Parts: sequence; C-alpha cells; structure tokens
Amino acid sequence: MTRHEASPYATVMDDSQLTGRPIVLAGAGPYGGDLEIPEPLVTGGKKWSDVDRDICMHAEQFPTKKWWIAFAVALTFLGLLVFSLIFLLYAGMGIVGINHPVGWGSFIINFVFWIGIGHAGTLISAVLFLFRQQWRTGINRAAEAMTLFAVACAGIFPVIHLGRAWFAYWLVPYPNARGPLWINFNSPLAWDIFAISTYGLVSLAFWYVGLLPDLATVRDRATHPWRKSLYNAMSFGWNGSHRAWRHYESAYMILAGLATPLVFSVHTIVSFDFATSVMPGWHTTIFPPYFVIGAIFSGFAMVITLMTFMRGYFGMKNYVTLNHMESMAKILMLTGMLVGFAYSTEFFMAWYSGSEWEGFIFKNRAFGPYSWAYAIMFTCNAIVPQIFWWKKMRRHTWVLFVVSILVNVGMWFERYVIVVTSLHRDYLPSSWGMYSLTRWDFAILLGSFGLFFTLFLLFVRFLPVVAISEVKGVMDPKVARSAPTDALPANAAVAAHQEA
Amino acid sequence: MTPTSNKGVLGHFCEPADALAAAAKVRDAGWKHFDFLTPFPIHGMEEAMGQKRSWIPWVTLVLALCGILFAQGLQNYVMVFDWPMNFGGKPHAAWPSYIPITFEAMVFWAALGSALVAIVAGKIDTIPQPPPMLVKTGATVDRFVLWISATDPKWNAAEAEAFVKSLGAHGVRLVDVKEEADA
Repeated sequence: MTRHEASPYATVMDDSQLTGRPIVLAGAGPYGGDLEIPEPLVTGGKKWSDVDRDICMHAEQFPTKKWWIAFAVALTFLGLLVFSLIFLLYAGMGIVGINHPVGWGSFIINFVFWIGIGHAGTLISAVLFLFRQQWRTGINRAAEAMTLFAVACAGIFPVIHLGRAWFAYWLVPYPNARGPLWINFNSPLAWDIFAISTYGLVSLAFWYVGLLPDLATVRDRATHPWRKSLYNAMSFGWNGSHRAWRHYESAYMILAGLATPLVFSVHTIVSFDFATSVMPGWHTTIFPPYFVIGAIFSGFAMVITLMTFMRGYFGMKNYVTLNHMESMAKILMLTGMLVGFAYSTEFFMAWYSGSEWEGFIFKNRAFGPYSWAYAIMFTCNAIVPQIFWWKKMRRHTWVLFVVSILVNVGMWFERYVIVVTSLHRDYLPSSWGMYSLTRWDFAILLGSFGLFFTLFLLFVRFLPVVAISEVKGVMDPKVARSAPTDALPANAAVAAHQEA
Repeated sequence: MTPTSNKGVLGHFCEPADALAAAAKVRDAGWKHFDFLTPFPIHGMEEAMGQKRSWIPWVTLVLALCGILFAQGLQNYVMVFDWPMNFGGKPHAAWPSYIPITFEAMVFWAALGSALVAIVAGKIDTIPQPPPMLVKTGATVDRFVLWISATDPKWNAAEAEAFVKSLGAHGVRLVDVKEEADA
C-alpha cells in the first residue's frame, strides 16, 4: 500500500473491530501478493490533537466522583499504614508475627513482593523499547509510574524490618564518628541498599525524561498562568526543537540500555539476600533468574489490573486496546510457565543434589504444614495463566482482570512459601516452629496497598497517564494529521500580543 | 539559557514526511540556523537536518567510568585500608563481592548524569530559538514547525520567506517581535 492511499486504520473505531491479527490487503504487497499490516495501536480514527485532549482531560478537569471514592478508600488504607507504623515504632517488633525461628516474616515478603511488582514498569519502558515493541507506548507511562510507587512501598519494609528504624541511616556508607564504622560491602544486604536506591532513582529519571515533552503539551493547553508556568518549569521549557530531540532520543536510548541490565540486577541482588545464606531451599543458584522472572510475572499482572481500571474508568480504550491487553496476557502466560518451570526445577535439583536437607525442605514445602500456601502459589502462578492459551480468554476483560489479581495473590504466597517454609524447619528439630501473621502484619500489608493506590490516583489526576508524544509517533499520519491553516493555532499569549 | 532570536521566518507542515523532505532541502540550501519544532521525534530528521550523531553517549561513557572508579575506590578503601576486618578468613580485597555495588554505581552515575546532561544539552547545544509564545501551541500538538533564525549567516528576510514558501510550508510568516511590539 502506498502512503497516499486511504489508510485502513481510519476505519477501526473500537475494540470490537480489533481481531489481534494483521489486516490483510489482498494484492497490495510486493509482486502482487497480499500485504499484511498490523492493526492500529490507536483506535477511533483519532487525530493528534484528539490525543492531547483525551489524555490531558483527566489532569485538567475537576476529578470525577469515582475518582474521589477511589481516593477516599486508598487514603483510608494509607491512614491505616501510617497508624500501624507509628504504633510499630512505639510498641516494638513484638506486635508482629516474627519470632524464633521465623525471623524473616511479612516485612521481607512484602518487600520482595513490591519490588517484584515494580519490575514490569522498567521492563515495559526499557526492554520493550529496545525490542521496538510499539504497543508499549500505550502503557509505558502508567507502568513506569507503577514502578516508582511500588518501589516506594517496597522501601518501607526493609527499614521497618530493622526493628530500630530510626537508625536506618546506618545502612549508608558515610564517614561517621563511630570509628568510622563502615557497612560490610561483602553483604548482599548492603548490595540491596545500592540496588534499590539506584533502581528507584534511575526509574524516576527514566519516567521524568519520558514525561518532559508531555509536560510541555500540558503547559500549552493550560489557561491559568500559574499552571502554565508550573508545567513550563517542570518541562524545562521544552519547545519540541529537533536540536533538543536529538540529545533527548540519544539519552532515552541510553537510559533504556542501562535500565535493562539494571532491572535484572535488582531482583538478582534481592535473591542474593536468600541465595548467599546457607538455608536449605534458599541456597540455590536458580534464585536470580527465578526471582527476576517472578518479578516480571507479578509486575505484568499488576499492569493488567491497573490498565483494566484505566480502560474502564478513564476512557483509555482507544489508547490501551484489547490488542495491548492480549500482548500482556501472552507475556503473563509465558512468564507464568517459566515460573512453573522454576518450581519444578527446584524439586528436581533437591532430589538430584542428594542433599538430605534440601530434599526435606522441598517435601516439607509441598506436603508439610504450609502445603496450603504452596498449593495457592502453584495454582495461581503456574496453572491459572494457562487459560491464556485460548485467544478468547486473552481478549476477555473480566478474565484478564481476575487472572491478574490471582497471579498477584499467588506471587505474594510465593514469597511467603520461600521465606517461611525454609525458616520454620531449621536443621535441628529444637529450632522448629510455626509462623503466622498478626493483625499488625495484615494492617501494614493492606496499608501499603493504600500508599500505592493513593500515589497512583494522584498521578492520574495531575500528569498525562499515557505517553502522548510516543503515542503520536506510532499513529498513522494520514489519519492523525489536521488540515493546514494559514497561521499556527494561536495560544492565549499570541492572541493578546496580536491585539495589542 | 536557551538563546532566542526575535527575528526569523516560521512555517509549518502537517505531516512528518513533508517536514523530513523540507529539512533536507533547507540543509542543502546552506542554511545553518534553522530548526524543526515537532510534537514527536521524526525518524531520520538528524540526517535530513545535517546534524551529527548526538555526543551524549560519550558523556555516558565518562560517567560510567567515574561510577566504576567511585565504587571501587570506596569499597577498597573501606574494606582494605580504613578498617580491614576478617570475615571467615577471606581476603580483604574480595573483588567478586564488590561487583554488584560497582555495577549499580556505574548505572547510577551514567543514567542520571546522561539524563541531566541531555536536558541541559537540548537547551545549550542549539541555534537561536523562536520566541516561545509564537510556536508553543502547534509544535506540541500536530504541527511540524520550520524556523529559520535571522542570526543565520546568509539571512535575507525576503529570500528566507520566499524559500520557506517554496518548500510548500503553510502559514509562512516573517517574525519580528520587536517591530510588532512597536507597531
């Protein structure tokens, strides 16, 4: 099809017209064969100017009632978190479930859980960028924001797990009056500090760099002078100059290139917290890839959950189409199978290694007192995503939503199984015990969801939730262009200037 | 920080392909102080505008090396010189266990530094830009705006305007903010 013929994209109005398969134009290909072109990433015959309106709208108008209800609920849970944390600091670690022999409990579980959720954001923005997966443009902004908020949630847990959270600054190597007494750089726990803080800040930089041109778009739509100058400052006065785009694109590519190994390194280092110990069930070389793939799995599940809301409540169905959801479902199924493969490999290695302790721990994991947790984990992570072998299921909003929730339940229990089952049966039967969460453990876990959703709701309220400039780049110019005008569409300042 | 020019000529295109074709013509006509203001980056524009590849990767390289040196320096200083401690009889300079932090520090310096330098470079390594209020709206929405600044060595107002018109640009106008204000 030559550039000047009518685009089939203009006719795809909504999800119901998408099939997930390429559009075939008979006889339009080279040598008279068929030409297959992928379905549009943006439906509804949108113009570039429509994109601005549709996406900035939510940041420009007074929030809807639904937003206020969601925000009130999230804020309530955030309040629960703040209250629980204050009480935890006041009363001490005795109020939570950890004790001898299970000294790592819900805080470590939640930490790994939230860090894992964060990984999909960087994966979508960096890895899919390097692989030129254009469908990422619809979801990357929200996924990156999700990463930041998940890392914020995760960051709380190691600090409160210290017990004396007010000494958290001791984790940072700085010249001090205690010797100076330094941290031990041989410890994976020290590596964690560097990995998580680097990850958080690099994700922030990546997100913000991506946001710059869109902040300029919001600025140019703004009518209130304060709002205009605020967004102008936030976008560093971006004007779309191609001399700036040149450096911008180079830096964006570099950030993607650096974030890709970073995202793999972070969960690898998190897994080192376990793998470098001598606990049966933790001391395995499979942990780094197993943790990384589990993180991507849970993160994509969370992206699907959030995108379901964004499609439903924020009218993003034209930008995050069913095809996007289907692509994510495919990744969910693939990573789910990899996670299931890792579970099986662990069992094989426990048997093949001939280690008595390793063998016992795995029998105990699957059939011991915590077999219920193992069953939840295995069912939700390895079996449930198999439903996505059916295309119909991959394109069914409710199925996607329910599976995405189940996967995150399963992934939380995966960390529960790893942390608790290895600890509750130590080498000596005298060091055997059971672990259960107290009401404070639950309160802090639920509260962290409150923090996450509060931040996410503020994000959708104040910033463009879809990467406007990137989405514009993947639209068909023939459909998206507007008619030429004699003058550029004037903004308020120009109009005032011309009248004067 | 960004240089601006009050005089120049503006015109716009409605499609990236048209802007790309025009850019090559502007380049070949020998203009130096021109720019395209676009809502999204256009593939191939660097070449069409006659720009070299961005120098940001060199900044990244230097910063990455700084990060590596910083992390290695800190860890070796602390673990070998300042307070060497015996962990299970292992060597003080246990380089394999310094690798994770070295890697993280490298990424930290390289990524954050490159992002910052790229933002500043976009402001400084540029040609005099049009007065902001004249182009803001279109260039972040759906217009691909061509700007030729009067600071160009071969500037001639009538010639520039005729040239931009000959490229098929829409809404071609000579800009002279000071004169307009006076009038």
